[in-house]
Amino acid sequence: MTVDEQLVMHMMEPKNYGHMESADAFGFGKNPENGEKVVIYLRIGKDEEEPYISDIKFQAIGCSTTVVAGSMLTEEAKGLNLEGAKNLVNATLNLLDKLPPEDAACSEMVALAIAAAVETYEHRVSEPDYPAITYKIKSTCTPKEEEYESSND
Amino acid sequence: MKAVMIKVHEVWLETLMAGFMSNTHNKQTLFDFADILFRHFTWIENTLINAGEKYNYDRDNVPIKVETLKALLKDINLRLSDIELQLMSLEDKALSSRIASDIRYMINVLTRMHDENISAFNMHRVLEGHPLSQEARDALTLFLFEEGYKEYELIMIYNYLKTHSQDAYMNRIFQILIDESMFHLKCFGDMQAKMGILATPRVVMKELYQVTDIVKFLKDGINEEILAKEECKRLSEAVAKDNADLAHFFDFINNQENYHIALMEDALNHYQEVNGIE
Repeated sequence: MTVDEQLVMHMMEPKNYGHMESADAFGFGKNPENGEKVVIYLRIGKDEEEPYISDIKFQAIGCSTTVVAGSMLTEEAKGLNLEGAKNLVNATLNLLDKLPPEDAACSEMVALAIAAAVETYEHRVSEPDYPAITYKIKSTCTPKEEEYESSND
Repeated sequence: MKAVMIKVHEVWLETLMAGFMSNTHNKQTLFDFADILFRHFTWIENTLINAGEKYNYDRDNVPIKVETLKALLKDINLRLSDIELQLMSLEDKALSSRIASDIRYMINVLTRMHDENISAFNMHRVLEGHPLSQEARDALTLFLFEEGYKEYELIMIYNYLKTHSQDAYMNRIFQILIDESMFHLKCFGDMQAKMGILATPRVVMKELYQVTDIVKFLKDGINEEILAKEECKRLSEAVAKDNADLAHFFDFINNQENYHIALMEDALNHYQEVNGIE
């Protein structure tokens, strides 16, 4: 990971980190390989009847990279309408190939948690007790050389 | 009472962070006060358990970015005064009186503490007296953020397990692990402050400390310690060519992990034996 000033700022003061009391919806992104997970909490506002993310928070069981990804993506998601949030998720998922494996896994986990929270909200509009959705990531956190080493053990 | 525990948790962290920021003899006093506040936290927690009240370690973020130590000390004193008022809600009057007495003394000392300019947030990422290449600086930066949080997380997990266990054998081990993590957290926090990248650890998620399967937790913990050893080894190698002293320090931390592993294995064997688990 390239350590620049922006990255250090996100590590020192992650944006939107923490639990949200009485969120309108929440969703999870999980890494089934190592048990790491991200939870996204949403508060939904209405702008001329159009729902949008008026507040967003996240918590993570994971590494600093996950926290940086959570800090950056939640900042981008704040204020978006639900379609905008889905576009943000898709744009992030389309970028994963260009990232190192550990960064890709962390970003995917956050993006999928946002998708899960948005979709949970959409379900809850008609079914208020709809359970929080969980998505599992497909990326692997293991850098390629480590995979090679372990396959040769 | 829960609110008091949360406030003590927050002021413990803030005082510890103030200790990291200080570069004078204030440092030791702030560390001592932080240790006292951590003990207050555990005592109040114990009272909650005895009263059968549910609680968790959620808290607000603790902002610490200041230009002078006085600014942070003023905030610590405000928090302490607030806690002193709220101690009235504690039924255990002996405990509330003890905590109140400590708080009054701390406020008095903190009010008279001399001021210092703070460089713990300048993001220079330079460790004075330890020249490092860009690559080594980056590796050290990532390590400190990762492991600094991890040590805080471990303190909270072991503390929760200890408070909920009546097994003296296990509790002795949990206390050693808390003390060890406190030491590591202080080492890493000091380095972060010197490099201008000090940060309060983030809130630990409930799932991590509200352990339901001790055996799995200890087995996973042993594996994590092995990974932590690898991280220390990697970092030691990354800084070795620029700085032998720093490499020795991370080798020392790495070797301490061996004892943590041995302790956790001991705890695992004991727990399995006592509970008839194969």
